[in-house]
Amino acid sequence: MTESTAKKKPAPRKAATRKRATAAKKAAAKRKPARNTQPVKPVSVLIVGAGFAGLGMAIRLKQAGIDDFVILERASAVGGTWRDNQYPGAACDIPSNLYSYSFAPNPDWSRSFSGSEEILGYIHHLVAEFDLEKHIRFEKNVADLSFDEKSGVWTATTDKKETFAGRAAIMAQGPLSNCSFPAITGIDDFQGHKIHSARWDHDYDFRGKRVAVIGTGASGIQIIPELVKTAGHVKVFQRTPGWVLPRPDFATPAWNKALFRKLPASQQAMRNLLYWTHESMALAVIWNSPLTRIAERVARLHLRRQVKDRWLRRQLTPDFTIGCKRVLVSNDYYPALQKDNAKLITWPIARISEKGVRTVEGIEHQVDCIVFATGFDVSHSGTPFPVKGRGGRVLGDEWQGGAQAYKSINVSGYPNLFMTFGPNSGPGHNSALVYMESQLDYAVKGIEKILKDDLKMLDVKEGVQRRHNKAIQKRLARTNWNSGCKSWYLTEDGFNATMYPGFATQYAAQMAEFEERDYETV
Amino acid sequence: MASIDLDKMLTKIKSTQWALSDIDWDAPGADLITDEQWPKLKEFMADLMWIEHVGARAFAALAKKAPDDTLRQIYTYFHAEEQRHANAEMALMKRWGMLDGDEIPEPNINLRIVIEWLDRFADEMPLYVLGTVVPMLEIALDGALCTFLLDTVKDPVCHQAFERINDDESRHLGVGFTVMEMQGRGKTFIGATKMLAPLMDPRLILGIASYAPLLNKMRDNVIAMGLPEEKLYKAMKKFERIGGRTEDGRRNPWFQIIKYHGRFVTNRSQRAYHVPVDGLVKLTNMVPRRALPAVPSWVKELTWQPTATH
Ligand SMILES: Cc1cc2nc3c(=O)[nH]c(=O)nc-3n(C[C@H](O)[C@H](O)[C@H](O)COP(=O)(O)OP(=O)(O)OC[C@H]3O[C@@H](n4cnc5c(N)ncnc54)[C@H](O)[C@@H]3O)c2cc1C
Ligand SMILES: [Fe+2]
Ligand SMILES: [Fe+2]
Repeated sequence: MTESTAKKKPAPRKAATRKRATAAKKAAAKRKPARNTQPVKPVSVLIVGAGFAGLGMAIRLKQAGIDDFVILERASAVGGTWRDNQYPGAACDIPSNLYSYSFAPNPDWSRSFSGSEEILGYIHHLVAEFDLEKHIRFEKNVADLSFDEKSGVWTATTDKKETFAGRAAIMAQGPLSNCSFPAITGIDDFQGHKIHSARWDHDYDFRGKRVAVIGTGASGIQIIPELVKTAGHVKVFQRTPGWVLPRPDFATPAWNKALFRKLPASQQAMRNLLYWTHESMALAVIWNSPLTRIAERVARLHLRRQVKDRWLRRQLTPDFTIGCKRVLVSNDYYPALQKDNAKLITWPIARISEKGVRTVEGIEHQVDCIVFATGFDVSHSGTPFPVKGRGGRVLGDEWQGGAQAYKSINVSGYPNLFMTFGPNSGPGHNSALVYMESQLDYAVKGIEKILKDDLKMLDVKEGVQRRHNKAIQKRLARTNWNSGCKSWYLTEDGFNATMYPGFATQYAAQMAEFEERDYETV
Repeated sequence: MASIDLDKMLTKIKSTQWALSDIDWDAPGADLITDEQWPKLKEFMADLMWIEHVGARAFAALAKKAPDDTLRQIYTYFHAEEQRHANAEMALMKRWGMLDGDEIPEPNINLRIVIEWLDRFADEMPLYVLGTVVPMLEIALDGALCTFLLDTVKDPVCHQAFERINDDESRHLGVGFTVMEMQGRGKTFIGATKMLAPLMDPRLILGIASYAPLLNKMRDNVIAMGLPEEKLYKAMKKFERIGGRTEDGRRNPWFQIIKYHGRFVTNRSQRAYHVPVDGLVKLTNMVPRRALPAVPSWVKELTWQPTATH
């Protein structure tokens, strides 16, 4: 299976992607006739979301011989993050050989850190290779997910009131799939063009334009170097600087691709090497250790080498421990800021006006376009749509003080429900897909159990979940994430419901065991 | 003035901001500046705008040292607000034809030395040093220079601008005194010996050597403009009064130091202080400009233009 995948080349180009998207849209339109009139026989598995997680789930189910599943996707194309984040410069910051599924390696990655289009190409390739298209229902925006105890069935209801039923449900709607313009005073007064990084406007011509970029996180620092190349002038509005490490980016030489293709084991070896390199980063990033100081020193040297002006360097120097927020990697961000047509502005933003951005030093910075690289709407203490479990209990209510789950994947009172990227599953130092693979395999075990024993309910015991979380929070207290900076990892009250406090290897070990005694079965 | 709730203060700061473009800099009234006033006012405004700018840099240093996120944000805003004051005062100078083309005015030599010191050492000073010096400077500005300016200058645009500037300043003072009291308070109180340790630090001694002549020089300038000396001193007494209104405030040794320093400054008969410091003013006046390093790049962010188009 893996070999055959390896032999085909992903089609990474945009035209192909777009064509597929429209084809999918047409197909979706053809399939439209409503399913909402008569109650349908529930499928085995209902998957919400066709990003890496949802599609990976589908592949693993198929490989386990479970073919009876449906994927509900609100957009008209697959890809999630990589379909939505098509801004110039968009790329992964974990090497592609690690930021891909081990069960579907791609020998043809063109660079060590591939761009968004190429990653999207890989995702499309997964869909084709594993014949997933027929399982996907596009333009189904799930607005409610409810469990019926009597029948042991989950029902997803879309915003158009269509319903889909399944014995097990997978919430794979993505942790970073919702975005909106930030609530800056006056944002609606702006007469120029507004673009959110995760909803890029490819038709806007930046040539000669005066552009403001708000936000200098992972997306911002990828966009800025590209915009500086084309726009007339770029003003970068920074609230807090992040730690930036150099990025060992290079094009994959042809011999390397050939080697990976001929000898898949060599690619696995590469993946292992990358995996352990990143694992060791955990020591610097997750806990405050001597390696933390070294990582900070590397970042400072990087800054010193690329920025000569002392004040600019001060403006770009973070005042929190490295790892407390997402570590950034870039070679061209600092140089871009120093180009003649770029400027870093660290004055706080007072408001947005008709013509631009007013900062607290009293000046209105007039621009033609504002790019918001302001991140995503992350819910720490709610769910993106109502999720109702046993006895009508509502997950969002229970999570008010911060989300909690068992091993990040199940929640007591919500039987047969599995989540990818659930509470405390976030990696700070390694590929999200490494974590995802363990989640997918865990879910497959649970689903196999439900189907084999013909269970109505597989529900994690409350005490088990409580003990698990107590241990997690105890370990989190000692991490850099909880060291005092404000980040999207934490709730307003500083509760960390996002990150996993340990090595990916530890996480994988946690997920490798599916203990039946942790669950109540009916 | 009781101690203030800093979280509420931050919210208030964020929701009440103004910009240079809120003021019509071309409105009538510029001709109310008399020919006799003009040259002295030009020098005064140049000093004032530089002092604002220097204050801005001190707030930037305070932001780095802030003990919590709220105070860090407040100082970050104050940094920008002081810059706004400098920008607005330059816009007034522009309106009154006091700028050479679009150039920013030359800082006097004492200011240049203070700028240099701030650039090199401010970030390394503990919170309680700058946290006491800054309110002292602010009260001198707020209570004396600005009120005096408004008494003498009839231009309505000047009054509009300073109404806003003074609103900001009263918040700066409120926060400044609250922090001084925090520094003297039980749990956070660091201990006088430790707090006074920086006194022996050569970096701070250099700082004092550049700050003291600046005060004397300022005093000379305002007196040249016709400000009754007592007004300046009265303002500095206000520092003593407000800073020392609570036990906590009085317990802060830096408050005591700055207070006594203020007394020296305001008492011309303290010859042991004034003779050497006035000597320093004269001495610094002899430093050739070429002897100073290039101005740090934070200085170049000053502008009198309400809008930046590129
Ligand atoms: C710019 C950017 C760069 C990143 N780089 C890296 C990296 O280098 N390394 C790394 O490990 N991680 C990275 N990540 C994290 C990345 O999000 C994950 O690695 C991964 O792509 C998440 O996949 P997912 O399937 O869980 O979510 P998504 O890719 O977001 O997919 C979720 C899907 O669910 C659909 N959906 C959402 N809500 C509903 C609903 N209500 N009904 C129906 N469908 C719905 C969405 O349309 C979407 O297609 C990056 C993220 C971003 C934004
Ligand atoms: Fe001021
Ligand atoms: Fe002030």
